[in-house]
Amino acid sequence: MATYSLANERLRALEDIEREIGAILQNAGTVILELSKEKTNERLLDRQAAAFTTSVQHVEAELSAQIRYLTQVATGQPHEGSSYSSRKDCQMALKRVDYARLKLSDVARTCEQMLEN
Amino acid sequence: MAQQRALPQSKETLLQSYNKRLKDDIKSMMDNFTEIIKTAKIEDETQVSRATQGEQDNYEMDVRASNIVRAGESLMKLVSDLKQFLILNDFPSVNEAIDQRNQQLRALQEECDRKLTALRDEVSIDLYELEEEYYSSSSSLREANDLPLCEAYWRLDLDTDGADGLAAPLRASPEPSAGPLQPAAPAHSHASGSGPTEHA
Repeated sequence: MATYSLANERLRALEDIEREIGAILQNAGTVILELSKEKTNERLLDRQAAAFTTSVQHVEAELSAQIRYLTQVATGQPHEGSSYSSRKDCQMALKRVDYARLKLSDVARTCEQMLEN
Repeated sequence: MAQQRALPQSKETLLQSYNKRLKDDIKSMMDNFTEIIKTAKIEDETQVSRATQGEQDNYEMDVRASNIVRAGESLMKLVSDLKQFLILNDFPSVNEAIDQRNQQLRALQEECDRKLTALRDEVSIDLYELEEEYYSSSSSLREANDLPLCEAYWRLDLDTDGADGLAAPLRASPEPSAGPLQPAAPAHSHASGSGPTEHA
């Protein structure tokens, strides 16, 4: 999949969003844990709460952008393109190479037998 | 450029549902988080006893925390659905992916054919020498008027009478389908037929 650059960029962006959602839940858990302590670290609380809010807004913006892009490019028709023909041609070329290798090994074996005899 | 096309009802409905899910999940996360922070505030005056209030707050925080986690999982599912939709319906990237794949496969095929052609040229030289050696040795099965292919080639070159020249090597060669243009097939048939056997 490394060669599908354009598709990979969007898919990679979506994977980053998934990681960020995990980080959001982590932040929320840290804030609540900190609140449960008797002596809370206010700076940590503020930092984590701000990070939570920023991440949530960022995720919302990114996902909205992706949905907007899909609204623009989606046609509702199935994509009927395929790489089958070139894959078949390549497969035939590889079969030709295998056949040539087989025949060459036959000739080599015959030559060796002749030499032994 | 950013005009809304007339999408089929199902696709448009699907994309609208994605938007709605996104808005609902984000709102749920923010609201529940804010409410947990508010509930954490200790109040001096309560309508019920402190223990009851504490239990109630504990239960409320449990529920709100579960709501945040549920909203997070729902967002993950939404991202998964978006990935699927992207792979199936993002035509520009699908077209590019198909083009790249076709280019790769065509390049591989051309490489294979190029190497096979080079191999053919090398092997034909070696086969020529092998045939000379074989037909001039005592272990060949041919009859007296049977010509080795190298002789057939020479005859063909020297012979100016087209019909007779072509007929002679064809009559001499044991294989009816093999002609001067197919050196590999008669060599193989001779080699495979007479290789291991000894002759008087």
